[in-house]
Amino acid sequence: MSQAQRSQSKQSTQRRQAAAVRSVLLFVCALIAGLCSAVPAPSAVSAPAAAASGAIRGRVDVRRTATAVDRRPGVADLGSPLTRPIPDLRRSVVYLESAPRGAFEPNEGGRAVMDQRLETFVPHVLAITVGTTVDFPNSDKFYHNVFSLSKTRPFDLGRYATGSSKSVRFDRPGIVRVFCDIHSHMNAFILVFSHPFFALTDADGRYRIENVPPGTYGVIAWNEGNASESKPVSVPDGGLAEQDFTVR
Amino acid sequence: MTGWGRITRAWMLLLCIAGRAGAQVLPAEPIAVAGGRLTFGGDVSATIGPKDPGFFNFTDYNHSTLRMLRVDFSAAAKAGDHFSLLAEVRSENLGQVRPYALFVRIRPWTARNFDIQAGRVPPTFGAFTRRTYANDNPLIGYPLAYQYMTTMRANALAASADELLAKRSEGWALRYSVGARTFEGGVPLVSAFRWDTGVQVHAASRSGGVSGTVAVTSGTVSNPRVRDDNGRPQLAGRFEWRPVSGLVAGGSWARGPFLSRDAARAALGALDVDTSAFTQTAWGGDLEYSRDHYVLRFELVESGWRLPTVAAPALPQPLSALATSVEGRYKLRPGLYVASRVDHLGFSAITGTGRTLPWDAPVTRIEAGLGYSLQRNLLLKVAYQHNRRDGGRLEKIDNFPAAQLVFWF
Repeated sequence: MSQAQRSQSKQSTQRRQAAAVRSVLLFVCALIAGLCSAVPAPSAVSAPAAAASGAIRGRVDVRRTATAVDRRPGVADLGSPLTRPIPDLRRSVVYLESAPRGAFEPNEGGRAVMDQRLETFVPHVLAITVGTTVDFPNSDKFYHNVFSLSKTRPFDLGRYATGSSKSVRFDRPGIVRVFCDIHSHMNAFILVFSHPFFALTDADGRYRIENVPPGTYGVIAWNEGNASESKPVSVPDGGLAEQDFTVR
Repeated sequence: MTGWGRITRAWMLLLCIAGRAGAQVLPAEPIAVAGGRLTFGGDVSATIGPKDPGFFNFTDYNHSTLRMLRVDFSAAAKAGDHFSLLAEVRSENLGQVRPYALFVRIRPWTARNFDIQAGRVPPTFGAFTRRTYANDNPLIGYPLAYQYMTTMRANALAASADELLAKRSEGWALRYSVGARTFEGGVPLVSAFRWDTGVQVHAASRSGGVSGTVAVTSGTVSNPRVRDDNGRPQLAGRFEWRPVSGLVAGGSWARGPFLSRDAARAALGALDVDTSAFTQTAWGGDLEYSRDHYVLRFELVESGWRLPTVAAPALPQPLSALATSVEGRYKLRPGLYVASRVDHLGFSAITGTGRTLPWDAPVTRIEAGLGYSLQRNLLLKVAYQHNRRDGGRLEKIDNFPAAQLVFWF
């Protein structure tokens, strides 16, 4: 091979390398642009992850007539008890029985609040992920003593006054029944999940679980300690699946 | 079956309940029907302990708090916002079912903390009287003021100071020469095991920081009655102040004719007697402070009885008794607590022939124990009780271990 031919070949190789570098740079720039943009970029690079997520929605019909825990007959009391609001017992929690791979990554841990107001826990049902810290402020003028004997997270916050708050971090999945040691009619549920695929129903019993990767899952509806049978739900690629439940 | 056999059987039953309660076979909450207008609750406690030869823990002639199966059922029926009917029945050691409470509660103005209760009403006097249920009592025994049977009786009396001194420590079962000639138990300073009958008015400030109760009833605090046996009612009052969260200061007072008309007739030898002079007057003060995982309580009860004198040496007026108790509870961890109570009951001195002594033998009790919640409404308590009596013919010192299983809904 002559020197000219060797020189041409070298220049050609350099051009290919430069083109390859430009391609890589373009790809990286596109990737960065796609990741930084709130709206998924219309490029083929960033689209799959966002577009693949689907959702599950539907309605939970609570057939059982759940009644709020009443006060014990206050036979030894010298006067009438405080009038308190009736907690909304028709709120249900719908959740994936088996979560997609990658859903169990450690959670940084958010915060949630369960207030104590007029001898009632508000909200009555709280659904959180593992690692969440729940604050229990006391908004009443008298003492409360929040506690739970559940195996998932036993705790006893002791007595504390109005304006004070104490917290509990939940590090294991499960159902935690919460009570007040002073007011036996006060009770609430905290459902702790190891994945984020759950939703609380609204006042009409409707729910929507967002960002569910495509696949087939078992889905369960839960209300006041009663769970429905698991129903298989197929979430299409970037689509919406519908499933209604009845809890008896 | 003997009483002891019944208790053993009851314990077996409760242990079965404990095993099955985990599966929620039994109610964990009050039973509400008719849209919550009718509510039922219950308390079952089974206590097992050794014999009590000194009768320190007896509540009447037959029952000891350390060997008792107590079953309470209560009900509340609401008729609108203004009227409720409340009732409770009780059985001890599977014996006769007795009405414990039956009264109507009227709230004339729903926006105000003002209630009128009429019938067999809860006690106005004292702080402990409203937490005598086993799940409200951190220990197994009761404060002496509310349980210990003194040598005072409402239907019989000692003719003289000598006769009264001869009966020291025998409050469990005693007979006097004046009045009813039966063997019966004496009365405690304040009865926690029977409720009085009458009308009670309760009012509280909007914030609940201050409250007061007055009642007119047929018996007295030591001898509550359904039917009046001396023609004159008792007047009782209680005041509570909650200056800050966790602190409750209370004061109580009660005064009413104590001696039955028949006993007064026997003492005075006349058919037409005025019983209004033979009274029981009681004063009480109590303090409770709680915070975080502990509760501290202090209560003091002073009672004085005025009785007729039949023979010399005369009974001084009044014959008084003073009970003090300090109680504490601390939660070690969820579902587990330790508790203790120190209690003393003393009596005023009287002079008989050649001796001056307290009219009944003073008693001191120290009790310590722990409670463990097997589940929220199933509590196991174990306690150790030391009792000491200074004088009298009965056992001077008794130490008891005891265990109690409590189920409530």
